[in-house]
Amino acid sequence: MAEKPKIAIYGLGACAGCDQAIIDLNEVMLQVADAVDIVLWPLAMDFKYSRIQAMQDGEIALSILSGSVRNADHQKMAELLRKKSKIVLAMGACACFGGVSGLANFCGKEDIFNWVYRNAPTVINPTGCFPQPETDLNGYKLTLPEFFEHVFTLDQVIDVDYYLPGCPPPPELIGNAIVATLAGDLPPKGSALAPRKALCDTCPRNLRKPNRMEIRSFRRIHEVEADPDECFLAAGIICLGPATRSGCGETCIRINVPCRGCFGPVPGVMESAPKFLSTLSSLLVVERDDEIKEAIDSIDDPVGYLYRFSQPSSILGQKIAKKGLEN
Amino acid sequence: MEAYNPKVVCFSCNFGWGYLNNEETLGATILNWIPVACSGKIDTHHILKAFKAGADGVLILGCPEGHCHFQDGNYQTRKKVCLIQKVLGAFGIEPERLDMEMAIDPEGKKIPQLIARMKNDLAKLGPVKRI
Ligand code: SF4
Ligand code: SF4
Repeated sequence: MAEKPKIAIYGLGACAGCDQAIIDLNEVMLQVADAVDIVLWPLAMDFKYSRIQAMQDGEIALSILSGSVRNADHQKMAELLRKKSKIVLAMGACACFGGVSGLANFCGKEDIFNWVYRNAPTVINPTGCFPQPETDLNGYKLTLPEFFEHVFTLDQVIDVDYYLPGCPPPPELIGNAIVATLAGDLPPKGSALAPRKALCDTCPRNLRKPNRMEIRSFRRIHEVEADPDECFLAAGIICLGPATRSGCGETCIRINVPCRGCFGPVPGVMESAPKFLSTLSSLLVVERDDEIKEAIDSIDDPVGYLYRFSQPSSILGQKIAKKGLEN
Repeated sequence: MEAYNPKVVCFSCNFGWGYLNNEETLGATILNWIPVACSGKIDTHHILKAFKAGADGVLILGCPEGHCHFQDGNYQTRKKVCLIQKVLGAFGIEPERLDMEMAIDPEGKKIPQLIARMKNDLAKLGPVKRI
């Protein structure tokens, strides 16, 4: 019998939500497990890195990597799995665009360390000690992976073949992606394995969108009792649907929560935040400068909203990583 | 240490600024000047990319209110500028580094003056401290 294709599933700077979404494949997962040989999946089974290191280059048919790259361990694992895999799939908003964890790029590493290990109200650290990459203890050398200055997307660190956006991606798209990869039925390299339309095109609330949308001030979703059928934007509630790829199954929209953009930009667009900013400004119907400023000031934390999933891949936020930690 | 010479990228509307002058002659004297069909044509990513490419400031010259050749492109960009200013600070770029002037200058004589004025203001701010 021919050998089954090998699959690796690994979370880098991830919350394990993406792994959980794979588990949510339910019965389909059993079929997948029959058809493939899962060589690495720390969340679900025992594993040895040395086994992966001993493999031939390209021996793994597919590596599904979730999470951003924030420390040296993430980078080494990403580089190792890249070398051993034919196809690397960046899974989830963190791997694709930096994700929620990428918001950390709005503060420096020093600020983060100061808060987490010194200033947070629940921390007692009288000697002010911070984690170090190397510590000598009774003659032993203890090491920790280096914490980088910056959060990177997966493709800033290794070559990525395909992208599967979402936070996390829905099980249906995960199942399709695995089946398509194993069958070799794939679009051009670099594509996202998700629909191409914008969310507004598939949103049920679009039917109630007024012909001419006019926003005078902004409100947050918890401040109003949102009509479950009305377009959020038309009601002055920020919804990233116009600039976000569809494919999520409108899960947020259906529970009366506006889109926050976890599927990233539509094809051909580098970044959704600037597109959304342009859209939003054209919908604002206020005349004088002071009125414009007042309306804009009524948006709470615009940066956090617009860049919630995309800071590390944004025009102003992206940086190039130093490569080649593995070996 | 070399003196700090701020770089300004200037977008200007062809219908309001310098249209009586030869674009090439004027362009030869103004660094990083980008005349466009309408200030409304300037999209958010053009402005962000200018900063990404190393601009210390971006100046947009549009027509006065009510004078847009294409209905209200100047007004659309005015709102866009206010929104972008709100976002720039998080990336370490002070909002003053993006400015818009709404006026008419057929000869385009004021373009270098306005750029010089912005450079002057930027010199006080110093180089961009990007995050
Ligand atoms: S994309 Fe979302 S679910 Fe996946 S690792 Fe990142 S935060 Fe978790
Ligand atoms: S803006 Fe939001 S609520 Fe309105 S149609 Fe688009 S996705 Fe739906």
